[in-house]
Amino acid sequence: MGLTRREFIKTSAAAAAAASLGTSLIPGAASQLFADSTKWHKSVCRFCGTGCGVMVGERDGKVVAVKGDNLNTINKGHLCVKGFYLHKIVYSDTRLKHPMIKKDGKFQRVSWDEALNFVAERFNSIRKQYGPDALAFYGSGQAETEETYMANKLYKGCIGTNNMEGNPRLCMASAVGGYLTSLGLDEPVGTYDDIEQAEFFMLIGSNTAECHPILFERIIRRKHQNPNVKILIIDPRKTPTDQITDLHLFPKPGYDLAILHAMARIIIKEGYADEQFIKENVVFKDNKKDLTFEEYKQFLEKYTPEYAANDSGVPAEDIVAAARMFGRAKTAMSMWTMGINQRTRGVWANNLITNLHLLTGKIGKPGCDSFSLTGQPNACGGVREGGGLCHLLPAHRSVKNPKHREEVAKVWDVPVSNIQPKPGKHTIAMFEALNKGEIKGIFILCTNPAQSLPNAAKYRKGLEEQFVVVSESFFPTATTKYADVVLPAAFWTEKEGVYGCTERRSQYMPKIVEPLGEARWDAFILRDLAIRMGFKKEFEKYKTAEDIWNEYISLTKGKDMDLSGATYRRLKKVRGLRWPVPSEDHPGTYKRYVQGDPLFDELPREKKKGRWIYFYGKPEGKAVVWARPDKGPEEPTDEDYPFALTTGRVLEHWHTATMTGAVPELNRAVPKAYVEIHPEDAKRLKISNKDQVVIETRRGSLKIEARVIDRPEPGTLFVPWHWEEWMINNLTIDAFDPGSKEPEYKVCAARIKKA
Amino acid sequence: MSKTTKWLLAVAGVLIIIFSLQFNLQADDEKEEKHPEVDFTQSCMECHKEVTPDIVRDWEKSKHGVMNFGCYMCHGDGQVEFYRKPSTETCLSCHTGEPVDARKGGNLQCFSCHNGHSLKFHQ
Repeated sequence: MGLTRREFIKTSAAAAAAASLGTSLIPGAASQLFADSTKWHKSVCRFCGTGCGVMVGERDGKVVAVKGDNLNTINKGHLCVKGFYLHKIVYSDTRLKHPMIKKDGKFQRVSWDEALNFVAERFNSIRKQYGPDALAFYGSGQAETEETYMANKLYKGCIGTNNMEGNPRLCMASAVGGYLTSLGLDEPVGTYDDIEQAEFFMLIGSNTAECHPILFERIIRRKHQNPNVKILIIDPRKTPTDQITDLHLFPKPGYDLAILHAMARIIIKEGYADEQFIKENVVFKDNKKDLTFEEYKQFLEKYTPEYAANDSGVPAEDIVAAARMFGRAKTAMSMWTMGINQRTRGVWANNLITNLHLLTGKIGKPGCDSFSLTGQPNACGGVREGGGLCHLLPAHRSVKNPKHREEVAKVWDVPVSNIQPKPGKHTIAMFEALNKGEIKGIFILCTNPAQSLPNAAKYRKGLEEQFVVVSESFFPTATTKYADVVLPAAFWTEKEGVYGCTERRSQYMPKIVEPLGEARWDAFILRDLAIRMGFKKEFEKYKTAEDIWNEYISLTKGKDMDLSGATYRRLKKVRGLRWPVPSEDHPGTYKRYVQGDPLFDELPREKKKGRWIYFYGKPEGKAVVWARPDKGPEEPTDEDYPFALTTGRVLEHWHTATMTGAVPELNRAVPKAYVEIHPEDAKRLKISNKDQVVIETRRGSLKIEARVIDRPEPGTLFVPWHWEEWMINNLTIDAFDPGSKEPEYKVCAARIKKA
Repeated sequence: MSKTTKWLLAVAGVLIIIFSLQFNLQADDEKEEKHPEVDFTQSCMECHKEVTPDIVRDWEKSKHGVMNFGCYMCHGDGQVEFYRKPSTETCLSCHTGEPVDARKGGNLQCFSCHNGHSLKFHQ
């Protein structure tokens, strides 16, 4: 980066202070920020997938403050520590302000015309010489829906390649696979409203307190108001979430599938299953065929508490207690994130969680849901719903489906033959293809794969050798080092658009200030690039963000995720709308598949046959309970690598810290990476707190400070992944789930020694 | 110059010196309130657990502690910004819908009633 860590912190701290001069939260200056001269704009937080409402304070054309939006029902005015500092990030010294082209190894400032013409010429030249599949796009769950929509049209509809991916592949793909295979359609049945009605929470593979703090706060409040509410955690590591737990199961990383089967077995054996619900609404399958309920029970016989205990390291009696907690509760809500999704059997793990809800009938009712938490603010809205992955088209459509291709081609006004029927390369395959030279040009938008890919060092070859364009708000990042062209992208508050969060809620964000320097909105960068590549007719019509949104929502009409009623006009007034919302007078949908869901309500009576829930994405409206085998991680521990290495987040930082790293307070709170090691392991290896240690895996090594603490279980190491200086992703494994193609960041074999 | 005038000038001079000294003393007090040199390789909490354990314990039990809203939220990062006595404005960024409007209480601030670390209502 050219700056030491300490210099960087100082520089960004000084910049942030200068930027907020006269507007920071100065003691005694009680009238400054909340004075009439500050104009407040309703918006949405830029960080995780919770979708908290924020009010952005603007004065004299500058963003000067952020406060929670107390009218937004998600966070009711509260913010977590990251959202609290959003305004400081807008004017970070690390903002990229001008287009640059790398000439003779050094970035040189150029005009927008020169940069875009250069990219267009190179992309067209690659396309002409090697075909459309030699080009690729790698986007982001942080991009607005409008931005991803433009990239989708350019790549799939005009260039003619499905090599279009986004970082949600690395975090949400297994949840998508889980919902599709279990319930028939992507995204949750319920919403956050269920939190206040649930009697039992199963938090599995989720450090809710640090990764989704506002939802954690809602769970805390629910428990404080109702002491009978029980909380079960299944996670290999003790975290701040444990403050509210009633029972914590600590499986070895990657060994929780057998626990979930054992819980299902106990639930059935002890009479907690809802036989009527099962009879009416559920079918059973294994990986090859349909099963009867009896055959499923036979499958479960293997999964005694003792078997699961032996597999996972969790005491059998705790597994029994966990199953009884789930079974006895009148209502139950499961929540999970990367501990479940980032696994080579992430889809199966998702299925097995939903199994418990289907067996007990605790789904589709208030206070009940199998609810995946999202890590990015628009992974659901822009990429899952917008179709920003290599096998998808907008509005939950598939490239494989000829009808879907026709529908989309018609709206895009492109020949249907442009859209290839074969899925493109998923993320890991895409970066492998860059390494091999099969992909020769890539446009990377609003993400930092050189740091965030698993086994990251392996994929730098392709980034070094091929033509790389990076559109970013921040510079430098680990990825811009490898760029041939960097394009300055407008940041949050400098552009308008829509984010869709975890609970199917789409929320509008206004443009409040002008972009810094020469930064431009990504959707228009893509539009202008497309025009220069020869797609003028297809792109010149997009004059405003609303033009793009209107076209997108026209594609959602009649789909399960109908957003036809979520017009800009309406979204500007309300605190988001939860789809399906088929018309402008529709209030949005709290629960899918039941009364109140317009798609359920429209189903003919003869189809519903008196049923109160109908999973209309599945044949006969029946969800699937899956008999999946239990399987451990791709790289189990062994004599040479006896530790399980797992990675994750801290409360104060986010992803590759391009944003949180620009906030002095957040750097101050957690200034560096560390490895958590259990005191027993540390004692055996003669490692003391704050010693420098070396972690090694089959892919790389990292020198880092030890934190001797009883958060991880013996035999497990934990490293937060935010820092480029301590890049743990050089050590993580790039094996991926064969279904979702999501990599197994959460488990690999490692060893550790004193440096 | 009359004797009275000289006398008045002398008194004024003495007063100016006294006020100046007082101002300087106040300035020195403010200087003393500055946070000592910070080791940026560790977090606030790592050090304060040792030097102010009672305060950290109070905080840990508070709602802010449960949510892990650290020292920096109210006191700044300690280098660019350090607030020995945090302001109500900081609170209002999150507590936007609180039932008590502190501004109606004249100079009443959040910490007039709430203990700064336990956050308990103490008045």
